[in-house]
Amino acid sequence: MSIATQPITLTINGKKVGPMQVAEGLMMIDFLHEYLDLTGSRLGCGQGVCHACVVILDKADGTSEEVRSCITGAHFFDGKKVRTVEGHAKLNDKGEVVALSPVQQKFLEHFSFQCGYCTPGFVNAATVLLERLKRAPVSRDQIDETITESLNAHICRCTGYVRYFEAVKDVVLNTPGLVKEGK
Amino acid sequence: MMNRHLALLAAALVVAAQSAAAGSDAVSRGRYLVKAADCAACHTSATGAPFAGGVELKSDFGTFYGTNITPDKEHGIGKWTAGEFYAALRDGVAPDRHLYPAMPYTSYRSMSRADSDAIFAYLMQIKPAAVANKAADLKFPYNMRFGMRFWNMLFLKDALPDASAGQSPAYLRGRYLVNTMGHCAECHTPRGALGQMDGAKPLGGSAMARIAAPDITPAGLSASGWTAADLSSFLRTGVAQQGSAYGEMFAVVHLSTQHLTPGDMWAMTTYLLGDKPLPPQPLKPAPAGADASIDAGRRTYIAVCAGCHGVDGGGKPHVAVAMKGNTTVRSADPRNLIAVTLDGIEAQRFGAKESMQAMPGFAAKLSDKEIAGLSNFLRVSWGGQAGTVGESQVKELRTAIGGLRAR
Repeated sequence: MSIATQPITLTINGKKVGPMQVAEGLMMIDFLHEYLDLTGSRLGCGQGVCHACVVILDKADGTSEEVRSCITGAHFFDGKKVRTVEGHAKLNDKGEVVALSPVQQKFLEHFSFQCGYCTPGFVNAATVLLERLKRAPVSRDQIDETITESLNAHICRCTGYVRYFEAVKDVVLNTPGLVKEGK
Repeated sequence: MMNRHLALLAAALVVAAQSAAAGSDAVSRGRYLVKAADCAACHTSATGAPFAGGVELKSDFGTFYGTNITPDKEHGIGKWTAGEFYAALRDGVAPDRHLYPAMPYTSYRSMSRADSDAIFAYLMQIKPAAVANKAADLKFPYNMRFGMRFWNMLFLKDALPDASAGQSPAYLRGRYLVNTMGHCAECHTPRGALGQMDGAKPLGGSAMARIAAPDITPAGLSASGWTAADLSSFLRTGVAQQGSAYGEMFAVVHLSTQHLTPGDMWAMTTYLLGDKPLPPQPLKPAPAGADASIDAGRRTYIAVCAGCHGVDGGGKPHVAVAMKGNTTVRSADPRNLIAVTLDGIEAQRFGAKESMQAMPGFAAKLSDKEIAGLSNFLRVSWGGQAGTVGESQVKELRTAIGGLRAR
């Protein structure tokens, strides 16, 4: 008995992938790890709770959202645009990292993580938040609540979240256009 | 002399202790009966004091609010007598007004005076809460309370019809628990144009809220494969092999049925299934070969459902229930299946040992066509039903206001 496959074509971190035949029931995280060697997304709970595995789905209307890759099939992403933690930093021609994204940089400066297992999920969640704030800024008094609500589902067992929170708040306050003028 | 005094004192103490014991016995019986009658469902709001009212009850006639039944003298029932309390339960008549049948006196009518008194005794010793009642917000002509006099003459019956058959003591006790205390018929029996229960179809299923109350007649339960053991597991924990309690039934299990004694649980399931239960019907196997729309539904299932519900539909323990043989999937009416797919279900705890993760709603993720295809795949593969769900049904439920009848 052979495993049934379906063709898949998608864009990951700006590069076209496929068309290729991929097993029907394969979860996205396994596709990233086993077919594409993109091992940055972390498999934590495997049941959609910890959010270590989230990737960014870039939608046609220009918005972005988090999707849990451990409980979402690879074929859900057929024809779609996806970003993983590997897609944030600037690389040179040789594929070496020359600059981190603002979120990544602030996570380092604030010592936001220790073991780092949850970090890919937090990088993606914070990036989705920044992109949302760029489209729809919030007032200054709503920042704390907004950050908490966007990162709340992500589980971290080392640093107690405060350093992630402070890092994201740092980026939000120091990036022009994310906070409404006035208050 | 001294001895006589002591003897008298001792006798007085014994009498006092006995009457206190009788009092607390009624209170503890009342505490149990309040759970069996699920008073908290409407009289305790999520953020309010116990039994201080405020729970919103939407209906086709307008919005009702559960009232304050604490012993507060101004806002609650502190000035009522046990007789007046019994009249409210039995006749729907409070000292100062006619009640609307949002208060299920239509079911409580057959409650025994002793049980009414025990409930009253329990309520009168809880903490009074000075919380004002919210007036019902009803459409004309339902906002005229005196109309209830005529409604009662037409529709208030001493006993509700049976959906099952039996005569055993457990059956008779179960009838009291299901029809009177649990007031199951209030949601599970379809209603007529004036909100009266349809006596011809007791417990036959009704769609008063966004999540419809399913058919729990012996035939309906047998058609979805329910046994007494399944029912008692469901009522005790909220989970059975046929699925978990969601919508308003989750609160019913949480506040009421999980607290029933094993004897009463047995009685309840005996009444629902009857003294001679119909055999549970096995799940019809899926027909061989599927059309393109079913196959598209299957792929949607694998893409966004199988991660938790399993590729084989078997579910995952403490994560998500099985789809195979699930009552919502096996139901002839696809309404609940579509509504749950659109809305999702909050994370739920069932007693001390069981829980299910939050299910996300797919209203923004899947199109009408995708949800129709997914519903049909589930119904055909694991529900023994035909794949007859159309996009229009999904569209209709998408736009229906939650908690109101979709019309």
